[in-house]
Amino acid sequence: MAGPNALAVAAPRRQFVNDPDEVVEEALEGLEAAHPRLIRWNRDPSFVQRAKPAPPGRVAVISGGGSGHEPLHVGMVGEGMLDAAVPGAVFASPTAGQILAATQAVANGAGVVHVVKNYTGDVLNFAIAAEVASDDGIEVRQVLVDDDLATTSTTGDGPGRRGTAATVVVEKIVGAAAAAGADLDRVVALGRRVAATSRSMAVALAAGAHPGDPRPSFELPPDQVEFGVGIHGERGIGRRAFATADELADELVRPLLSDLAIGSGDRVIAITNGLGATTNLELAVIHRRVARVLSAAGVTIERALVGSYVTALDMAGCSVTLTRVDDELLALWDAPVRTIALSW
Amino acid sequence: MTSTGGEVTVIPGDEAASRPAPPGAPPGTLTVSGALAWIDVFNSGVGAEAATLGDLDRQAGDGDFGANLLAALRRVRRRLAEAPPTTPGEAFLCVSHGFLNTGGTSGPLFGLWFRGIGRAGDGPYLTLAELAAGVAAGTATIQRLAGAKPGDKTMVDALVPAGEALAAAAADRLDLRAGLARAADAAHAAAVATRDLRARRGRASYVGDVAVGVPDPGALTVALFLDSGCVALHPADEPPPVGLPAPDAAGATGSR
Repeated sequence: MAGPNALAVAAPRRQFVNDPDEVVEEALEGLEAAHPRLIRWNRDPSFVQRAKPAPPGRVAVISGGGSGHEPLHVGMVGEGMLDAAVPGAVFASPTAGQILAATQAVANGAGVVHVVKNYTGDVLNFAIAAEVASDDGIEVRQVLVDDDLATTSTTGDGPGRRGTAATVVVEKIVGAAAAAGADLDRVVALGRRVAATSRSMAVALAAGAHPGDPRPSFELPPDQVEFGVGIHGERGIGRRAFATADELADELVRPLLSDLAIGSGDRVIAITNGLGATTNLELAVIHRRVARVLSAAGVTIERALVGSYVTALDMAGCSVTLTRVDDELLALWDAPVRTIALSW
Repeated sequence: MTSTGGEVTVIPGDEAASRPAPPGAPPGTLTVSGALAWIDVFNSGVGAEAATLGDLDRQAGDGDFGANLLAALRRVRRRLAEAPPTTPGEAFLCVSHGFLNTGGTSGPLFGLWFRGIGRAGDGPYLTLAELAAGVAAGTATIQRLAGAKPGDKTMVDALVPAGEALAAAAADRLDLRAGLARAADAAHAAAVATRDLRARRGRASYVGDVAVGVPDPGALTVALFLDSGCVALHPADEPPPVGLPAPDAAGATGSR
């Protein structure tokens, strides 16, 4: 087990970088060049909005957060999902001013939903933008995503669970409800319901490295993996011996079933998500086991995504997200969407 | 100890500023030129103290506080040049805009606070009572969104007593400069006292006891802002000093 991993850990990774301080802007310019019919980038203050705005009278949906999680959030902008995404610097919250500008740009007369991953800086900056937007008579409501099981607090005091890959499910369902003409209360209620019934767990094989700084944010011995890692190179909750894909997948899924009290007869959306440097081939192998475990438990995977949607730069590893669903949520998941990352 | 507020000679009823007031602006109120002078002194003060504030933040937080303040004030200067304000409220809304577009969490919170002052009135001058109401509104918004109370070792520790001092001065019918001097005193005392607190909110709360002995840079910045008002509105022949408490008083490494 030591061979290839030892190399991956020890060798500094080379990166495609011009200027580390310009990485985010250059990437946004590249994405806009690639997808002019889907997105438009407002350079200053920086935010990305739909190239073709939603019809008037619809609830507008915005998300955002630090960069480094691509394709989140810019990859989720488009018909049936986000009206705008607000990218911060790598792993840093966007400013309240950016969020405010995006909110003012897409507000459509029916209110705005901010889908926010639960991190102190993101929550506060979105809340500040919402406060200031209310001066213009824009009603803004926040839907908090806090699915990371590894950060469940036992004391009830503290920042609470982090937001990770369930963000994709929340953004999809909230965006579909808004596109269908649901009012602000309804869209917010759906978003909160999805967040409340979603949990994720991640495992890292190797930490990621910031653009321009090829040292990984933590070192893992080649015979160990780290469970409960976040999407910012945060250390996890425990190291275990490296093992087969099936054994590692088991350890990801079982705590989710238990925490969500999911069992026989329940229906879920499952996301087997790559953290940046893990191949789709490996993710499919992980998902095979996820499907088998759930099937054995009598749980139906109604829909699944297998791929890299919420990443942590070039972290090697994956996360599994489960969202308990019913017919209503499934119909919203199935509604048409046209974004860089999701399209059906 | 505190280098400024306490040394400002308060003469109730003095002219508010050594600048010409717009026609009809009562003495002892804040005009747009007074507000711009205040912002200018604050800008210079931050320039002089950013490194010190950044060092304090490094000991208790993540060290970006000084750089974020400087970046915010660069945006403020640009905004003031692009859209010159015509009222004191507009001047503080320009300050708010600069801070709201700054990274981190302290900067945007200051943005909300300056917005409270900016919204205190839309006329050609602000009275002390209006300023006090604006400060109270901005402080209340910060407390609501950030969930910080006095004693949590944050900027709120200086904001609350400063606001109370302004309100009391307004009730005592003091003029603007006298009210600001009282508020600066209160903010200084509270900011220095944060040294002995254990952080319960903000970035310093992550490091626990490590931050005890380090005053909160946000609270010190509030004191610096109020000092700047005292300096800007002070008659030219009485130059009071401005600055943070001396390093030994700030007690980065000291103990009591």
